[in-house]
Amino acid sequence: MQLKQSLIIALTIFVVAISSWEFYWRSQGLCPTLDDNEALWAVQRGRVEKATNNDILLMGSSRVLFDMQLNEWEAETGIRPIQLASVGSSPLPIFHDVVNNTSFNGTIVVGVTPGLFFSTTSPEAQPWQWPQSKVDYYKKRTYAQIANHYLSLPLQKNFVFLSDDQGIDGIKLKELVGKINVGNRVVDPMPPFHEFGEIELDRNLKMKPITVTDTAYANSIIKVWQFFMKGAASGPPPDKAGTMAFFLKDLEIFKARGGHVILVRCPSSGGLRQGENMGLPRAEFWDDLVKQAQVKSYHFEDYDQFKDLYCPEWSHLSSKDAQYFTTELVKIMKADGALTNLKTN
Amino acid sequence: MLFNSLSFVVFLIIVLALYYSKIFNWNGKKRMLLFASYVFYGLWNPPLVILLWISTAVDWVTGKKLAVEEDKRKRLYWLLLSMFVNLGFLTFFKYRDFLLDNFTAVVNTYGYGYKTKPMDIILPMGISFYTFQTMSYTIDMYLKRTERAKTFLDFALYVTFFPQLVAGPIVRAQDLISQFYEEKRATVNQFLWGLFLLTLGLFQKVVMADTLLSDTVDTVYGSDKILNFWDAWMGTLAFSGQIFFDFAGYSTCAIGIALLLGIVLPDNFKYPYASLGFSDLWKRWHITLSSWLRDYLYIPLGGNRHGVVRMYSALMITMLLGGLWHGAAWTFIVWGGLHGTYLILERLQRQYIPFKITAWNGMFLAFTTFTCVNITWVFFRARKFDTAWNMIKSMFYMQADGEKILDTFTIIKVSIVIGLLFLCHWFMRNTSLKEVSLKKSPWALGIIWAIMFFLIVIAQGSGEQFIYFQF
Repeated sequence: MQLKQSLIIALTIFVVAISSWEFYWRSQGLCPTLDDNEALWAVQRGRVEKATNNDILLMGSSRVLFDMQLNEWEAETGIRPIQLASVGSSPLPIFHDVVNNTSFNGTIVVGVTPGLFFSTTSPEAQPWQWPQSKVDYYKKRTYAQIANHYLSLPLQKNFVFLSDDQGIDGIKLKELVGKINVGNRVVDPMPPFHEFGEIELDRNLKMKPITVTDTAYANSIIKVWQFFMKGAASGPPPDKAGTMAFFLKDLEIFKARGGHVILVRCPSSGGLRQGENMGLPRAEFWDDLVKQAQVKSYHFEDYDQFKDLYCPEWSHLSSKDAQYFTTELVKIMKADGALTNLKTN
Repeated sequence: MLFNSLSFVVFLIIVLALYYSKIFNWNGKKRMLLFASYVFYGLWNPPLVILLWISTAVDWVTGKKLAVEEDKRKRLYWLLLSMFVNLGFLTFFKYRDFLLDNFTAVVNTYGYGYKTKPMDIILPMGISFYTFQTMSYTIDMYLKRTERAKTFLDFALYVTFFPQLVAGPIVRAQDLISQFYEEKRATVNQFLWGLFLLTLGLFQKVVMADTLLSDTVDTVYGSDKILNFWDAWMGTLAFSGQIFFDFAGYSTCAIGIALLLGIVLPDNFKYPYASLGFSDLWKRWHITLSSWLRDYLYIPLGGNRHGVVRMYSALMITMLLGGLWHGAAWTFIVWGGLHGTYLILERLQRQYIPFKITAWNGMFLAFTTFTCVNITWVFFRARKFDTAWNMIKSMFYMQADGEKILDTFTIIKVSIVIGLLFLCHWFMRNTSLKEVSLKKSPWALGIIWAIMFFLIVIAQGSGEQFIYFQF
């Protein structure tokens, strides 16, 4: 057996193949990106253990990720918030974790996306399961997993072929195989979904420019929101009583130890906004939450600065608008005395 | 630490660099390997290394005493001490909640209304493997079938040797400890063959099990619907492939990694899906466990030396306990019971309806065996009896209008993968990978190697855990 020869042949072919693979995907317009996975989230969650009462945590769904820009927040306050928001998630599991498993008593900004915040407390439901899986991962992560994460970062930053995007944008073997469609035995009703955000090491996330410049691209995402709205309309009603009770209980504990909570309703537009108004009217949901929570709260519709903001895919702000939104929102909060212990001035 | 992870790549490079450097003498290298093995295990959960230490210390002392003690009663006490500690750990960490649940259920049938709170204890990774390995040493010492390990270092390394620590192969003392007595260096061919096996093992795990099959299994067995015939079969066939590729992949990696160090580990799989009957299956599937069960359970229970009834009882008890070894649930016991039943029926067939196996009926027999094995996998994979029973009903057309949940391509994909797997096992059943590789040109082997490596790299995800880690 001439294994040495075989190894040389194998390595040569492999280097040529993987280089070609990398160049091919770059030629298709893809760039290396970080994966917004549980390990990346857990690093930020780990920072909460050492956070002081000057620190600010951001929680909520993807709207908080897209709309609250850490650079702008830091420029206005001197404090870089810890981004703990999670896509497609209710903020309640993560808020519950921080309140009950840490001694943090600074400020927590909770983004309220009505369709997710008031959705459920059922552990099996996606808006609960996704953030809870992050919390569980943080609690159970092993030293090996931590090492894997840090070792993977330089690779993720430099190689496109390692992209962990799923669905239509996925280029891993499993995703590529999953795109092959033969016959119509079972039809997946969900429209194809693009990953339209790019995340940084501290989970500062920006909308991809193509979402703003390419209407067809934005429309493909809108179709997904429409699909979810249709599902929500025929699915179980929001569990307002359950979610509010759960949140208010944790809120009391947090307030009692000196913590501050700020509720924020980030912008939405178009048909999604209309759907939210119909399914989860402001007076019934947001206003009642604010009334019962007795904390500072900011709804984008209440401020002239935000009346012209438009979400290209109905649910999230473009990178430029997110920067503006963050800057103005922080200014409003400061003027309102919601943010204390600032490091500026 | 998982073989299919970046941290393991770095770990292995450091271990190999130290192993082949001139910094250490042989004893130093063994100490380094032992330390590396504790790091390998401890990076998962450091406190649980203490269990390894206790198990090592108890069996080392027991072995030492058994080597000099001639009093039969005292020898038995030493053996029982080792069994008590090892099986005690296993019972406490793996079977405690299961035993408690069953105790509660039985007590409550008499109306006591007894309530227990599960302790939610973490299951130490690989505990079933390393306890069986250390117990084999002590039992062999008791039966005077093996020599005492020369030094504590050799014994500790035998218990903890990282390539096979968490999921086997379960190695006997005489096969591994003796390899630690003299300095080992892999020859160039051994080293490269080890690399090839590591690549093949990772290919089986990452590409075949995780990329091509796992989603289908999760979809089918995670469904709460009554399934269509095709969906139920495809999910089960996919699981038969997934568990083979996952576990055989781990064993192949372990054998390859050990070979990089010049250490030879025994084969654990020999193309089991082309088995001609169930005795043949257990000589080909998880060989080191089935031979452990044969030598330390079936034979001590009487084996085939005390008549038919005793033999069948021994066979059934062995398989039931073999099922329980895999997991603390009744579904695993049923899995073991089905295999026990198959083995008994096979022996009855041999006695009353003997026939000669030819090339033609052989393939039919292999296919029949594979089909029967798939039925057992239903109980192995399903977490609940309801799920298992629904699957069985769907697979045997007992469900009218079952739900379709798999798309056409998935059905084609699973059929091709499992079809090729079966044919591959059939054509390889009387040969070995090494034999076949020797006949291949360096170019052919190089191209196959490159394709596997390339597919591993473009498939690699977040690093799925090996299924057998939970056992």
